[in-house]
Amino acid sequence: MSKKVFAGLFALIVLLGLFFRFSQLDLRPMHHDEANQAVKFGALLERGEYTYDHFDHHGPSLYYLTLPLALASTGKDFADLNESTLRFLPALFGSGLLLLLLLLKSRLGSKAVLFSALFISLSPIMVFFSRFYIQEMLLAFFTLGFIISLWLSLDTKKIHWYITAGFMAGFMFATKETSLILFGSLLGALILLKFFYPSGSKSQHISPSLFSRNILFFLGAAFSVWLLFYSSFFHNINGLWDSIRSLGVYFKRAGEAGAHAHPWYYYLKMLAFSQYGNGPLWSEALVLVSALIGSVSAFTKKAKARHDAAFIRFVFFYTLLSTLIFYLISYKTPWNIIPFYLGMLVLAGCGISFLSDLCQKIWLKSAVLSLIFIGILNLGWQSWRANFIYYADVRNPYVYAQTSTDFLNLIRRVNHIAEVHPEHENMLIKVIADPHMIWPLPWYLREFKRVGYWAETEEAGTIAGTPVIISSIEQTEQIWPLIRDQYLSEFYGLRNEVLLSVHIRLDLWDRFLENRR
Amino acid sequence: MIKRICLSLFTVILFLSFSGVTGLSGEVKQDEKEVLELELPKPMFVGTPTNIRTPNLEKITGKRRGPFYVPKGTKLLSLDKPVTSSDMMPIIGEIEYVTDGEKSGEAGYYVELGPGSQYVQIDLGASYTMHAILVWHYHSQARVYRDVVVQVSDDPDFISEVKTVFNNDHDNSSGLGIGRDKEYIETNEGRLMDPRGVSGRYVRLYSGGNTSNDMNHYVEVEVYGTEVK
Repeated sequence: MSKKVFAGLFALIVLLGLFFRFSQLDLRPMHHDEANQAVKFGALLERGEYTYDHFDHHGPSLYYLTLPLALASTGKDFADLNESTLRFLPALFGSGLLLLLLLLKSRLGSKAVLFSALFISLSPIMVFFSRFYIQEMLLAFFTLGFIISLWLSLDTKKIHWYITAGFMAGFMFATKETSLILFGSLLGALILLKFFYPSGSKSQHISPSLFSRNILFFLGAAFSVWLLFYSSFFHNINGLWDSIRSLGVYFKRAGEAGAHAHPWYYYLKMLAFSQYGNGPLWSEALVLVSALIGSVSAFTKKAKARHDAAFIRFVFFYTLLSTLIFYLISYKTPWNIIPFYLGMLVLAGCGISFLSDLCQKIWLKSAVLSLIFIGILNLGWQSWRANFIYYADVRNPYVYAQTSTDFLNLIRRVNHIAEVHPEHENMLIKVIADPHMIWPLPWYLREFKRVGYWAETEEAGTIAGTPVIISSIEQTEQIWPLIRDQYLSEFYGLRNEVLLSVHIRLDLWDRFLENRR
Repeated sequence: MIKRICLSLFTVILFLSFSGVTGLSGEVKQDEKEVLELELPKPMFVGTPTNIRTPNLEKITGKRRGPFYVPKGTKLLSLDKPVTSSDMMPIIGEIEYVTDGEKSGEAGYYVELGPGSQYVQIDLGASYTMHAILVWHYHSQARVYRDVVVQVSDDPDFISEVKTVFNNDHDNSSGLGIGRDKEYIETNEGRLMDPRGVSGRYVRLYSGGNTSNDMNHYVEVEVYGTEVK
């Protein structure tokens, strides 16, 4: 394949990836977790405050890397911040994955890189979480960056690759403390590679000399990222110790998964084949099967001769180990697929390339590639469906504890009532619900100056007279006797099976109706 | 005399000064006032909530419905009676499900109509005096149907002699008038509406989406009544 053809095709794939990732970023209502992170980021944006929380919300990189984007697009005011600005960051890192693949062109070959890029660009789950303001896509980028730079540093022994690998490793940990699983998988992959090193591979010098000067560059880069980010740029030195303590917290959580405990085959089922209720079928089996072929290809004589079989084996061992670990951890959420699925996507590209090379006859090659393209088109259609049609629908396998679209009607109603209230955004709003049932309200009510949150009605002081009360169904039972006939109550969907009530003082309601006429 | 004048002047000055002082002090108080800044509790940051995908059949709220009294001889009028709808091409199921007597919440027992305001209409075959209307929209999930309006008429087009027996469209978004009935969460008990003895041949039930999606659903509608005397 000529350089020009490769560049043209790669550019097309990147454009496709950008389209899926950056179009209508504000379409899906903010998820509970996204809103948590957004409100935490708000404190950093407005007051420069960020303190690492070792119990939840993972590492600091998401917040600090959002900062320049937010300052450049919406400024320092948290109320002006919007969903598109926040989600721009994961979309950027999700797209960045495609560019990282260019570093593998000499190792895997043009065809494998193009197909891997096409899979990453169109994979429904990769697109879905590239449009989601959580750490996963940043972690995916730093992990792939680390895999590639680690390999190149061990292979070429060049200092700049050691430094890059160090930064990538540092950012992996600064993004998610649970990246320790990935470091473990990579170490395991290197050890396994020692035993199963292909003799005819292009990379013949993969021997980490632990005491070389270059290792110090690697450690220095990783250490500096950890030091700067976890100490909140020296504003919270305790954060460094907390980042170590967090490992115990997450280790415990992995075993006591509670509401997020799922069977070992949860991820496999989600990727291979899933259907909920009368919803459509979902499957990324094409990637799984292609990844399997790619893995096998690393152990064939043909692969040894043509591509860097050692690197493919390294990726295979990493994918195998990380997949096993994530399967064994009972705490499972759809976004935890990303770190190990990333390896599968790279291997899938190798698989298609191998399959194409295997078919000697033109008609056979055309037939196989045509079938694969139909599969890729289907993947693209699923991606469109997952991100632009079923983006908040429980029949989408990647939708998990997602805020329902009806919740936006609640916000619209509160805004309409504030318009007719003499104090507008200073209108008092009391939210009475369990903390698991209030998010993403703090994000959507960020323009309101007087919003209070209580878990129980008796803690919320005087109820009657409050202009707007938002409550969980459980608390609504307590509230109704206190506001009887003075309020109009409405129900709105927060999430699947979770409803919120909005109680609007009747004089405001009448004014609202009057205003509408 | 001078003494009196001086005393009067002193009294006036004292009075004016006093009023002035009090007035001034009043102004000072006004100036010193400020908006009482309430320290409202901040939201608690908590981790990912439970993902619920499977139907939760537990009752969300409320107590079981008590007995509902109707005149002796009241019978079920709607069973297997013809049904029409504003959406004659349902997305899921058949319009006939509305009166087929099956009230299960599972898939295969409900009809799904399109988004926005939609209605189903039952033809009882003759005019009856109605004593109870029982509606199940969808009860395998905690959800609330919006703008539920139930009307009775002898006119199949609902142009004349329309009697509204239930209306919780409190902002008149469906354009049928402001309703004062409350919204309710769907349960397997269904929603019992009291038509208070109105008579008519046709029963029309509107809804305008629900808290889970924009669609409209019906598992079953039951109309109870007696012959018109």
